[in-house]
Amino acid sequence: MLKPTAMTKVVIAGTKDALEPTISVLHKLNVLHITDYIEENADFKIGRPLKSASKHSEHLLSLRTIASQLKVDEKEPSSKQSAQQLPSQIDEKIVNIHKEVSVRTDELRNLEFKVKEKKDLLTAVKPFTGLPLSLELYHGYETIKVYTGFITNDIEKKVSGITGNYEFFTGEHEKRKIFALFIPKIFEEQVQKLFQEEHSYVELKVPDLMGDPAVLLDELTKDIYALKEKETNIQSELEGLNKEYSEFILAADEYLSMETQKAEVPLRFATSANAFIIDGWVPTKKFEALGSELEKSSKGLIQLIKLEEEVKDEERPIELDNPALAKPFELLVETFAIPKYKEIDPALFLFFTYPLFYAIMLGDIGYGIIVTGMALVIRNKFKTGALNGLGMILLLSGMLSILLGVVYGEFFGFPVFNIEHEAGILGAGPAIGGLQLPVHRLGSVQQMLVVTLIIGILHILTGLILGFRNKVVEHDIKHAIYAKGSWIMILLGGVAAIAKLMPSMMSRNGVPSGDPIFIAGVILALAGIVLLIKGEGFISILEIPTILSNVLSYSRILAIGLSSAGIALAVNTLSMNLFIAPDHVWLGGGIVLALIGVVILFIGHLINLLLGILGPGLHSLRLQYVEFFTKFYEGGGMKYAPFGYNRKYTEE
Amino acid sequence: MVVDAGFIAIGAGIAVGLAGIGAGMGEQAIGAAAVGAMAEDEKFFGKGLLMTVIPESIAIFGLVVALILLFVFGAE
Repeated sequence: MLKPTAMTKVVIAGTKDALEPTISVLHKLNVLHITDYIEENADFKIGRPLKSASKHSEHLLSLRTIASQLKVDEKEPSSKQSAQQLPSQIDEKIVNIHKEVSVRTDELRNLEFKVKEKKDLLTAVKPFTGLPLSLELYHGYETIKVYTGFITNDIEKKVSGITGNYEFFTGEHEKRKIFALFIPKIFEEQVQKLFQEEHSYVELKVPDLMGDPAVLLDELTKDIYALKEKETNIQSELEGLNKEYSEFILAADEYLSMETQKAEVPLRFATSANAFIIDGWVPTKKFEALGSELEKSSKGLIQLIKLEEEVKDEERPIELDNPALAKPFELLVETFAIPKYKEIDPALFLFFTYPLFYAIMLGDIGYGIIVTGMALVIRNKFKTGALNGLGMILLLSGMLSILLGVVYGEFFGFPVFNIEHEAGILGAGPAIGGLQLPVHRLGSVQQMLVVTLIIGILHILTGLILGFRNKVVEHDIKHAIYAKGSWIMILLGGVAAIAKLMPSMMSRNGVPSGDPIFIAGVILALAGIVLLIKGEGFISILEIPTILSNVLSYSRILAIGLSSAGIALAVNTLSMNLFIAPDHVWLGGGIVLALIGVVILFIGHLINLLLGILGPGLHSLRLQYVEFFTKFYEGGGMKYAPFGYNRKYTEE
Repeated sequence: MVVDAGFIAIGAGIAVGLAGIGAGMGEQAIGAAAVGAMAEDEKFFGKGLLMTVIPESIAIFGLVVALILLFVFGAE
C-alpha cells in the first residue's frame, strides 16, 4: 500500500547442463524480473537460444497464419487444455489444419478473382443492351470503322455532312444516350476529328463476346450468383473449422508462445563455456520460495545469491502493491506513469477520490443504477484484464452516484423529494444527520461552489503534502520546504486571505486590514512566495497563479453536475409539460403527442447518460492527473515484468 | 433593478460564451495533434486525452465568473 513491493536483487549461477531445468522452474514460478545481460567480455557472452527455439517459432508462425485466416479471436476458454497432451499432438494437428484451411482459402481467392472478372464483363456488356445489335456485329470488319459510346448532342447530322454512306444506331442506357456508328474506313480521319471536338462523347469499348447483350447479361448475372454461392459455402466451411479448432489454436498458441519464450530467454543471460549467470529481481517475500524450488530441481547445481550492496533505486522494477479494491486504480496510475521506487503510489488516493468526484458530478439515482448495471455486465463479461478493472472503477463510481443521487434527490432529473416549486415523487425529504434532504443542486449553486472549492483545496493540499514527503525522501527536508512547503504556505495563506477578502469586498467594506486571520494569511502567503523564490529562482513567480487556477478548476465538479442535471431537467420539462401531460392533464394533447414526448424523453436521457458517463469519468480523471498528480508525482519507474506466463487456455 | 439584472445576465452569457470559444480554439490544435499521435501509436491515448482537456480550464473560469456574476451580484 502506497509503496511498491519490496524487491531483492539476485544472481542465479549454475553449470550449463542445469540451464534448461532452471529455465523451467523460473518460468513456472513467474517471479523473476530478469535484467538483460548486455556487456559481453572475453569470459562471458550473451547466451544462445535453446535448440527448440526455431522449431517452436516456425510452428507458431504457421499457427498464427491459420488463426488470421480463420479469424480466430481471443475469448474466454470453455475448458482448459492439458499442457501435457498438447506437445504430442501439436505437430500433426497444425499440419492437418493448415492443409484444410489453405485448400479453402486458395479456392476462395480463386473464386474472388473469377467474380471480379465476371463483374468487369458485366459492366462492359451492360450499356450495349440499349442498342439493338448482337455483340459479334461490332467487330471483324476490314473496311468499316465502328464507333460506340455515350453522347448527348446529335452527332448523326454532322456525320451525314461527311458522307451519306453510314449506319447509325441509338438507344438509351440509364438515361444516357448511347450510339453505334458504322462508317467506311476512308472517312476515319474526318470522323475522328469530329469526335475529338465533341465534348459530350465518351467512348465505350465493345467487350470481345458474341451474342445478344441482354442474354449475355442474364448469363453473367447467373454465373456471378453461382460463384457467390460457392464463396458463401466455403466461408461457412471456414467458420465451421473456426468453431472446431479455435480452442485448440488458442491453446496451442499459448503453449508455443510459452515454449518460445523459454527457448529464447538465454539471450538475456551471461554464459561462459560451461556456466551461466542470470541477473534479476525477485519480490523479497518470494525469495525463499525461489531458493527452495531451484534447490529441489537442480540438486545443488544452481546457486541463488542475494545481492545487498550497490543496489540502485532506478534499477529496481516496480510492482504496485494495493488492497484488492484499490487494485483497479493502478491502471489509471500506470496510464500516467509507473512510479519511481521511493515515490508514493497514488492508487489508494484515486480509490477514495475518483469515484467521489465522479459521483458528485453524476449524482442521480436513475443514472447511477444504469452505470452500476453496465459495470456489472462488463465485469461479468471480462473476468480478467484492463476491462475488468475499468468495470470495477465504474461499479464503485456508479454505486456512489446512487448515494449522491439520494442526497440531491434526483431520479432521471425528476425530483425525488419536494423542492421549492415542485412536489417530489416521495414527498418531503427526510433530514439525515442534520442535513435536510434534498440538497437541490440547481437551487444551491453558491453553496455547492464553495463545497467543490473546499474539496479542491483539500485535494491539492494532500498532493502537496505527499510531494513534501517525496522530496524529503529524495533529497532532504530543506529542499522539501523550498519546493513544496512554500506552496503549502501559499495555498493556506492565500485561502485564508481570500476567504476574508472576498466577502468584505462584496459588501463594499474594502480591504479587511484589521482582521487578524486576513493578516496572518497574507503574511503566510508572502513568506511562502519568498521561500519559493529562494528555492526555485525568480522565474517561479510566474507559476504562482497556477495554484489559483488549480483550485478554481475543481468548480468543474459543480459545473459538469449542473449541466447534467440541467439537461435532464430540460428533457423532462419538454416531454412532460408539452407532450405527455400538458397543463397537468395526462395525455391532454392526445396519444400521438404523448408518444412524441416518450421518444424525446428516451432519446434525451440516453444522450445525457452517455455524456454522464463520459464527462464525469474524464473530468474526474483530469482532476487527478492535472491538479493532483502534478503536485507530487513524477513517475519514471520500470514496470516489474517477471519471466513467466499467465496461462489462460492451458493448464499443467 | 430589472435593467441591472439584464446586464448581469448578458455579462454572464458573454463570460461563458467567450471562454468556451477560447477553450475550443485551444483544444482544436491539441486535439488534432493528439489524434495524429494516436494514429502513430495507440498508447498515446491517455496522454493525448489529458493534453486535449487542459485548455478547457479556461471554459471553467468563464463559468465561475458567470456564476459569481449571477449569484453574487445578481442577488444584491
